[in-house]
Amino acid sequence: MTAKIWRTVSPRRTWVAVGIALLFLASVLNAEAAGTKPTKRRAPNAKAAAKKTKPADKAPKAVKSYDIDFKEFKLKNGLRVLLAEDHHAPTFSIAMTYNVGSRDERPGRTGFAHLFEHMLFQGSENVGKGEHFILIQNNGGRANGTTNADRTNYFETLPANQLELAIFLEADRMRAPAINQANFDNQRATVQEERRQNYDNRAYGKTYEAVIDLAYDSFPYKHSTIGSMDDLNAATLEDAADFFRTYYAPNNAVLSMVGSFKTETALTLIQKYFENIPAQPAPAPADVSEPDQKAERRKTVEDGFAQTPRLDIVFKIPPANTPDWYALEMLGQILSSGVSSRLYQKFVKEKEMALNVYADAEEKRGPSLFWFSLLARPTTDLAALEELLYEEIARIQKTSVLDSELNKVRMQLRRHRAQQLYSTRSRANSLGHFAVYYNDPDLINKIWRIYDQITSADLQRVAQKYFTEANRTVVTTLPKTAAAPSGS
Amino acid sequence: MNKSMATCYRIFCVVLGLAAGLTLAAPARGQDGAATPPSKVERKNRAPVARDILRVKLPKPVEAKLKNGLTVLIIEDHRAPFVSVQLQVGGAGGLYEPAAMTGLASVTAQMLREGTKSKTSVQLAEAIDRLGASISAGSSFGSSDTVLSASGLRDNFDEWMGITFEILLQPSFAADELEKLKQRLRVQLREQRSNANFLLSERFNRAVYGDHPAANVSLTAESLDRLTQDALRKWHRERYAPQNSILGIAGDVRAKDLIAKLDKRLAGWKKSDLKPALPRDPQAASARKVFLVHRPNSVQTTLSLGNIAIDRRSPDYLPMVVMNDVIGGGASARLFLNLREEKGYTYGVYSDFTALRYPGPWRAGGNMRTEVTEGALVEFFNEIRRIRDERVPLAELEESKRSIVASFALSLEQPSRVLGFAITRKLYGLPADYWDGYAAKIAAVTVADVQRVARKYLDPEKIQIAAVGDAGKIKAVLEKYGAVEVYDSNGAPLPPGKS
Repeated sequence: MTAKIWRTVSPRRTWVAVGIALLFLASVLNAEAAGTKPTKRRAPNAKAAAKKTKPADKAPKAVKSYDIDFKEFKLKNGLRVLLAEDHHAPTFSIAMTYNVGSRDERPGRTGFAHLFEHMLFQGSENVGKGEHFILIQNNGGRANGTTNADRTNYFETLPANQLELAIFLEADRMRAPAINQANFDNQRATVQEERRQNYDNRAYGKTYEAVIDLAYDSFPYKHSTIGSMDDLNAATLEDAADFFRTYYAPNNAVLSMVGSFKTETALTLIQKYFENIPAQPAPAPADVSEPDQKAERRKTVEDGFAQTPRLDIVFKIPPANTPDWYALEMLGQILSSGVSSRLYQKFVKEKEMALNVYADAEEKRGPSLFWFSLLARPTTDLAALEELLYEEIARIQKTSVLDSELNKVRMQLRRHRAQQLYSTRSRANSLGHFAVYYNDPDLINKIWRIYDQITSADLQRVAQKYFTEANRTVVTTLPKTAAAPSGS
Repeated sequence: MNKSMATCYRIFCVVLGLAAGLTLAAPARGQDGAATPPSKVERKNRAPVARDILRVKLPKPVEAKLKNGLTVLIIEDHRAPFVSVQLQVGGAGGLYEPAAMTGLASVTAQMLREGTKSKTSVQLAEAIDRLGASISAGSSFGSSDTVLSASGLRDNFDEWMGITFEILLQPSFAADELEKLKQRLRVQLREQRSNANFLLSERFNRAVYGDHPAANVSLTAESLDRLTQDALRKWHRERYAPQNSILGIAGDVRAKDLIAKLDKRLAGWKKSDLKPALPRDPQAASARKVFLVHRPNSVQTTLSLGNIAIDRRSPDYLPMVVMNDVIGGGASARLFLNLREEKGYTYGVYSDFTALRYPGPWRAGGNMRTEVTEGALVEFFNEIRRIRDERVPLAELEESKRSIVASFALSLEQPSRVLGFAITRKLYGLPADYWDGYAAKIAAVTVADVQRVARKYLDPEKIQIAAVGDAGKIKAVLEKYGAVEVYDSNGAPLPPGKS
C-alpha cells in the first residue's frame, strides 16, 4: 500500500461499468506500464558519454522499437541521473526516487518515512510552505509524492518550457528543506487524516495491517507505511533532522526524466542545481530477512463498517525481480486478471460465492507476499469458500496451465507496454523504480523478455513450492454486527 | 525575481510575484488549542519560472457522418501501437429511464458483455482477454448517454473493434446471465452501504436534484425486480440510435480507410426517429437544508456542500471554471491551503461542479476528523463568503487562469484525452473552433465575473449540506446551520431524537 501527498482526482459522479478492473502489473510498473517482445537495443551504461539523441518523431522505420532509449550519468556527489528524450508532446516529467521507505523506520516511529515525504512539500531555502504546489499548478503542471515500504518518490509533469523550474524545485528541497514545528504539527495532523480516510473510516481498512502483521516476523515489512497514530504522535523534529541527514542524500537517490528536453540542457541544469549538494555516508540497509514460516497462521478481524466478509490468504514468496517471483506474478495474472480468468469465472460467475477475487504477487525488494483476496457474499459459507480456493490452487499444482492462458497474459503485457509510451510520468517513475529497487533501470526494456520466457512448468513449480499450508496466513474479516457466518 | 510585478505574457497579463500579503486565511481559530504558531502558506518567489505560457493547439479530429447518421471523430496519433475508442450512445442514458425502473440503462449496458447472438458470456470474455483488449459498457445515473469504451493494440484492432460492435448490435440478454448479474447487483446494493462516500452522494444528490432523475445514485431492490429481459431488450431496441450517437477513435489508425470501413460495418445499425427529450431541469434549492447520515463507528465526517448551478452551455461556464479553480480546484486552491495546509483538518478538500445538458451542482467537500467538523464548516462558509463578498485579487485570478491554460499542454500526451475534448465539443454542440479560442476566452474572465458567479451560485443561505458521520457527536454542530434531517445508513429517515 502506498501513501500519497494528496489525492489528485476530485470526487465525480459514480461510473457504473461492466467487468472487473484489470489489476494488472500495478506492482511492477507504477500503474500505467507494461508490454511485449524484447528487442536487442541496450540502453547505454553509466560510462557512455552524452551522445546527442535524435528526436523520436523523425523517419519512422519499418518496425518501430518501443524501447525507452535513456542515457545515464552520475554526478560527482553520487546522484544517479537517467534521461530519456521523447518529443511526442511538449511536456516532460521528472521523478526523484529516494532509496528509503517505511522498511527503514525504527520501532516506535512507524509512518515516519511518509510523514517526512509530506515535509518536503512544506518549503525549503528558496521555496515557501505550500509554494511547491502553487508553482507547479500555476504553470500548468501536476505533482505528487508517494511512499511505500521500499522507496519514496516525488514527481512532476510540466509543459516543456518549465524544465528549469522542475529541476530547481527538486534540488532545493534535497539541499535545504525548511522544517519547523508548526509545519511538522500541521502535516502530522494531515497524515493522521489520511490514515483515518484510507484505513480507520472505511470497510476492510484494518485488514491489510492485520495481514502483514501476522505474516511477517521482522519489523521492516510487518508494519504499514501509513504507521500507527501513536507513533505519528511520538515523532519529533529531531527525528526529521536525523532522517533527512541519513537518507536524503544525492548518493541515495535517482533523478529520472522523460519528455521533451535536450539531454545536454537538462544535464547542465541538473549539474548547476544538484552538484553542490554534499554526499553522505551510505545508510545501512534495513535487514528485511525473514525466518522460514513453520506453520499456518490464522486470525479473525472484526470490522465495524463491512457489510460482508472478506477472506485474505497470503503466502510468503521471494523478493521481486527473482525468477520465482516473476513466475508468481504471471500466475497471479492468469488466476485473476480479466473476466475470463480462472478465479473470476469460478468464484464470481459459476459458484456465485464472491463479489470479486484478486490474486497477485506483491512487489517487494525483500521477502514478498502472494496475495489472494476474496470479497465474499453475505451468505457464503466461508469454510467452503476457503476450501474451494485450495482446490483451485491444487489444480495449478497438479496440472499445467494452458498455453492459451499464458498467451492471454502475454497479450496483456504487450498492451501495457504500448500504453506506457504515452505517459512521460509513468516512464520517469519506472526508470527511478527499477534503478532504486534493482540497480537496473534497463529493466524498463528487459522486463518483457523475462515474462516471455516463463513457461507453464515454471508456474506449476512455484505453485508447488510456495502455496503450502505451512507457508500461509489466513485472515478473515467479519462484519461486526453480523451473526456468526454459518451457511444461512 | 519579479517582486509583485505585473508581467505581460503572450496570452494575458499575469502577476507572478505575489507578495505574501495575499493572506490565504486568518490564523488558526483554536479548534484544538494548538500551542505552536499557525502553519502559514508562504511565497518566496525565487524559483526560476519561464514566463511564457507554452501555447498548444489541440489536434483537430477528422469528422464524418455515416449514412446511418452516426457522428465519427478520429484523432490520428502514431506514438504507440495502440487505439482507444469511445462510443457515446446519446439518449440511452439513465436520464431518460422511467422513474420506477432506476438502473434500466445501466443494467442494459452491463448486459451487453454478458453474451451475444453467437457468443456466450464466457466466450466473449475469452475473446476479449485473448486479444489483450478492454471493452466495457455503462451508463451512470443521470447521464444522457450510455458509453461503450474499448481499447487495445493496433495489430488486432479490427478484431476487438468487431467484438465491440457485436456487443453493441447483437446482445442476447440471456436470461440466466441476467439473473446472475442481478444477484451480484443485489449484493452490491448492500456492500456499497459500508462506504461513506456512497452514503454521502445518495443524500447530497437527493438534496440538490429533488425529483430529477439525476437524484438517483443507485438502483434499488424494487427497481431491480422490474428489470426483466423484455424491458432490457425494449430499451436497447428503442434507445440505441445511431443518429444520436458519437463514435470517437484515437490512436494508431488511418482515418480515411477507417471511415469507409465503419460505414460498411455499421450499416446494420439503423437510423430511427428517436429524439430524446430532456426532463424538466432541476431547480436550485431555495432554502438551506442540512442532511445527516448516521454511520456508527465513524471517526471522520464526510461532508458535501452545494447547490444546483449551471449546464454545460451556460454563458457562466467559463467564469465558473475559474471561480471553482480559485476556491477549490486543487492543491493550491483556497480550501486546500486553508483547511489542510494551515489548519490540518483534513487530508484533502476540493470543490468541483457538474455541468451537463441540464444544470448540475457546484459542491465542496472532504473528510475531516469528527472533532473538527465544526471548525471545518466554519471555514467552508468563510471561504464561500470570501469569494462572494471580496473581489478576488487580480494576481490570484491571473494565476488561476494561467494554470488552466498552461495545463492544456499536458493533455497532448494522451490521445484519448484529446479525443475527450473533441467529444465534449460535439456532445454540447459547441462551435468548431471552441478549443482554439478557449485560452482567449479564459483570459477574458474578469474579477467581476468571478464574483458575479460566486454570488449567483454559492449562496450560503440556500446551500444544501450533507454529512455522513457519527450523529451523536456532530448533530448538534450541524444544527447550527439549520434543522437537521437524520437518516440511517440504509437510507431510511430516523425520527427526531433517535440518534
